[in-house]
Amino acid sequence: MRTSLNKIKAIEDYLLGSMAPGDVLLFEANILLNSDLIDDIKYQQSTYSIIRQYSRQNIKAEIKAVQETLTTAPQHRDFRQYIANFFKKH
Amino acid sequence: MIAKHNNRLSTAKLREAFFLALYKKVFPNVARYISRMGGSLDEAQDIFQDTLVIYYEKLTSTQNEVILNEGAYLLGIAKKLWFQRHQAITKNQPLNDFDIEVVADEQPATGKILHYLETAGMKCMELLKAYYYDRLPADNVAKLFGYSGTHSATVAKYKCMEKVRETIKQKSLKYADFIE
Repeated sequence: MRTSLNKIKAIEDYLLGSMAPGDVLLFEANILLNSDLIDDIKYQQSTYSIIRQYSRQNIKAEIKAVQETLTTAPQHRDFRQYIANFFKKH
Repeated sequence: MIAKHNNRLSTAKLREAFFLALYKKVFPNVARYISRMGGSLDEAQDIFQDTLVIYYEKLTSTQNEVILNEGAYLLGIAKKLWFQRHQAITKNQPLNDFDIEVVADEQPATGKILHYLETAGMKCMELLKAYYYDRLPADNVAKLFGYSGTHSATVAKYKCMEKVRETIKQKSLKYADFIE
């Protein structure tokens, strides 16, 4: 891998706690000396956060699609009726 | 960092069957409970959607917790969500104090960046989702995304990280409220 990708891997190993203890010391020394590295770490953390939000949106969309199927498809009519009965009194 | 349940949930088709089975098996109990608590069908559906997101994240996490009774576990999450939601409404407070972590309200800048990435970097976002959220093993990711092997897929992952990180950096300079 090219150098920039290895740096991303190193930040990932550091953030996810999979870096060897000796390497952690060296990495943290680099953080003190290199303000660009601090920025890279900060933006990489934001990247993980964005990936999580994107992924959650997608999983929720898949779940909603399943619910939509249950709400509309003819073969699930009995199930719909069964559920609707719980809410009849309200 | 690979989850044990990843293979049976690795494609949209498999997840569809999985979620459908859970709706059939568990949603009646959740609906009955929400109904008894005075809630509506819409509320029951909303809560069950969040319940399934939480359960999916639990299954794909690296924790090795054994869930013996899936139905009881899901009903427990739904009850907790109901109480948290109900409590927040009666206290007129925002839903941001979950100890079960649910999809949080996002900052406006995050939404803009996310929207940009959904349109301009869809393939990368899908690849990163497979690695970091679905936690699929590298050989599975390689197969799903058409890479020749795990090394190629791993390199592609880091290239995507670089691309997305750079996008976030550029956009963050524009939307100052994104970082911090």
